Amino acid sequence: MASDTVASAVRSRPAALPVKTFLSELPLAVLAVAMLGGLVALYSGDTFTLNTLATALLFAGLSSAWNIIGGFGGQFSLAHSVFFAVGAYTTANLYLKAGLSPWFGLLPAAALAAAVACLLSWPVFRLRGPFFAIATMAFTEVALALGNYMEWLTGGTRGMSIPFRLGFGNMIFRDRLSYAMLMLGYTALCLLVVLAVNRSRLGYYLQAVRDNEQAARAAGISVLRVKLTGMAVSAALTGIGGGLFFMQVRVADPAALLSLFDFGVKFALIALIGGLGTIYGPILGALVVIPLEGWLRATLGGMLPGANLIVLSLCLILASLFMKQGIVGALSAGLRRIRR
Amino acid sequence: MTAPLLDVQGVSKRFGGLVAVNDVSFSVQKGDLVSIIGPNGAGKTTLFNLLTGQLVPSAGQVIFEGQDIGALSPNRRARLGLGRTFQISQTLTSLTVIENAMVGAFLHHRGLKAAARRAEEVLHLVGLSARAGVRAGILTLSERRRLEVARALALDPRIVLLDEVMAGLNPTEVGELVELVERLNAEGHTFLVIEHNLKVVRRFSRRVLVIERGAKLAEGTADEVLCDPRVIEAYVGRPRVRA
Amino acid sequence: MTDLANVIAVGILLGGIYALVSVGLNLIFGVIRIVNFAQGEFVMLGMYGTYAVYNLLHLDPYVAVLLVLPVLFVVGAVIQRLILAPLRTEPSMQIFATFGLLMLLENVVLAVTRGTAYSVPSPLAEVSVAILGAQIGLVRLLALVAATVVAVALGVFLKRSMLGRAIRAVAQDRNAARLVGIDVDRIYMLTFGIGTALAGLAGCLLTPIYSLSPQIGTNFILPAFAVVVLGGLGSVLGAYVGGFIVGLTESFAGYYLDPALKHAVLFAVFIAVLIVRPSGLLGQVGAEEVGLRGE
Repeated sequence: MASDTVASAVRSRPAALPVKTFLSELPLAVLAVAMLGGLVALYSGDTFTLNTLATALLFAGLSSAWNIIGGFGGQFSLAHSVFFAVGAYTTANLYLKAGLSPWFGLLPAAALAAAVACLLSWPVFRLRGPFFAIATMAFTEVALALGNYMEWLTGGTRGMSIPFRLGFGNMIFRDRLSYAMLMLGYTALCLLVVLAVNRSRLGYYLQAVRDNEQAARAAGISVLRVKLTGMAVSAALTGIGGGLFFMQVRVADPAALLSLFDFGVKFALIALIGGLGTIYGPILGALVVIPLEGWLRATLGGMLPGANLIVLSLCLILASLFMKQGIVGALSAGLRRIRR
Repeated sequence: MTAPLLDVQGVSKRFGGLVAVNDVSFSVQKGDLVSIIGPNGAGKTTLFNLLTGQLVPSAGQVIFEGQDIGALSPNRRARLGLGRTFQISQTLTSLTVIENAMVGAFLHHRGLKAAARRAEEVLHLVGLSARAGVRAGILTLSERRRLEVARALALDPRIVLLDEVMAGLNPTEVGELVELVERLNAEGHTFLVIEHNLKVVRRFSRRVLVIERGAKLAEGTADEVLCDPRVIEAYVGRPRVRA
Repeated sequence: MTDLANVIAVGILLGGIYALVSVGLNLIFGVIRIVNFAQGEFVMLGMYGTYAVYNLLHLDPYVAVLLVLPVLFVVGAVIQRLILAPLRTEPSMQIFATFGLLMLLENVVLAVTRGTAYSVPSPLAEVSVAILGAQIGLVRLLALVAATVVAVALGVFLKRSMLGRAIRAVAQDRNAARLVGIDVDRIYMLTFGIGTALAGLAGCLLTPIYSLSPQIGTNFILPAFAVVVLGGLGSVLGAYVGGFIVGLTESFAGYYLDPALKHAVLFAVFIAVLIVRPSGLLGQVGAEEVGLRGE
């Protein structure tokens, strides 16, 4: 066929690949992690800032994980607090009851979170947009009820605590710098996974499903399988974050871990502000939102309880109205204008 | 005679009391270019939906390459080799042109590089290479139509179903797209086309099917069909007899 | 036997409350096709508004309705015009915006009230009536009656009045409605206002029953969603019936299983219904848009 001649002519051209690959994007990712590392090093003496940085890096990772299914996949999940909690309780229970080092415990945490995610979302993936969101919100509420009920697993409403026993194997450190580096490692892991997914068939299929399910099906895509896979990867990373979080704070109750305002919605909010469906958006978003929140809590928190949440919710509304491309979107639009 | 690529046998579709497609039978051979014409609302797109899987037949069979695909989902059928474009362009607007094509290419070209290469090929085939990095949302209508054809071609399809792919295009654009379809057909691609533009139908179809009120009214070459008085009556109406 | 009667009574009364709370959400979704995450917060605002009116003007909650309703109508209309109308073409941003509203309203009220628990006494609060062997609180019965009256009134309004017909036209086909000269944007604004006013009405009527807290909105939004999907999706009758289905399910689950798990059971049932009968129990038009009729 003539098109074969065309095809071979195309192939024999000097091979400038028209799309970016994982390897071609890797240097930028490494640079980003290095810069974050630089930030950590810069403030390594300042405990307070290190704390904020550690939290920001944790949320950078968690939000990046959410972004896989929420941003790239377009499925607005409010159930990620559930996967977060599953990861947290798996890691904690394996450590406390089976003596398994949290470093190893993170793996079953990830696996269990992914399994729960698939089980829960399989029946509701047929729901579109806001109805999917509400169903996932319902999961969070049900999980809270179950979590309070299953005292042997979670300590019930009194909560659960991990005794302070220093040790690398226990993932319990005395200094803030170690936690900051731990969270940096988590961000790096999430960034690499996001990059790998984005530069793969799964990434393209997720975006196709987000943009137009009918067209995706006509292209041979199994929409449900793509959504489930994206959800599983996203949940696994979120579960790891949950495990890390629990080992850092060492005391939590179901209400805290499953809080929509403190975790569930925050993952989405950070992704939106940074840039939904972009690779670096959630990281930028976390670096903006978490310090801002901390500052708000410090200055206004005394006078006005919940002031940080009021500001965050205003950010959410304003961002949805005026900044839906997020910081990354605004930056690239600005760059385009400069180039002209 | 070799077995047909697509064999539609007595296919019907009922929605409650409404019969949208009524006992339609026809076949398409490999390398064919068959057009389906008929008045608005005759059931042509419904027929397409039965072939590509958006709808399941109430009766009859859809045999593709010897296999009954009537119960298969749209994505299964796409994997078997049925490519399709839609009447209302369904491009993936947030992705670039080449990414759109890659979404199709990934079906049979698993790796990123392989899919990108295949996407480049099909973009070259439809003449969109120069727009490869452009976001699909800002394309012109003609370009979006060609992009959909490219995405369908990227699936390495056995047959491509085009649903009114000329609709809304100006005469120059129509000419370009007709040339493209003719060229691809000459290279061996099989097409089943719904088309309103009778000039186009005359020009490139080897066989024409006329659907009216859900049933096959006539079948033959373009000339045969377009001179058939029943077909003329279906489109234009019975001439009034002056008393 | 009286145990069962009590469970059923609780279920029906709860159902009345859920029906009352959901009717506004149902209307908004049926017409504007937007899921108002903040609907529960408007119920909460209705409750706090009633408290404010009680505090300042010493009016009984059932009278305060006359003040709270118009205020919440205006608030709703303004929110629709300023925040939701610009997002008409951005369904994913609508989720962010309405959820942001949820957070905003809840936390503003929390900040203003500083977490103090309020309650609004009503002379009727202590009265209970015996019906068929079950003891029923009068205020809950009134809520049930109100739910019925509202459902009927809304149904009549939508069927008979000019505005109601315009609203139904927009719900069926907004482009066709525009073509016959209906100002669709104005209808959206009015419908949202009516929806929030109905939520406020529910809030007023619930003040004698519940003690006020800023978080009470989230208690209602999920059952309201279950009601809308199970029975409603735009149908007033469906939302009314759905309310009772949800109320009875919750009551039976709470009594025969474990009160702590009643929401879990409710949602397990809800998900099961979705799997088995994706178009909802009463199968309404518009289910495809929600995605309930899967491809």
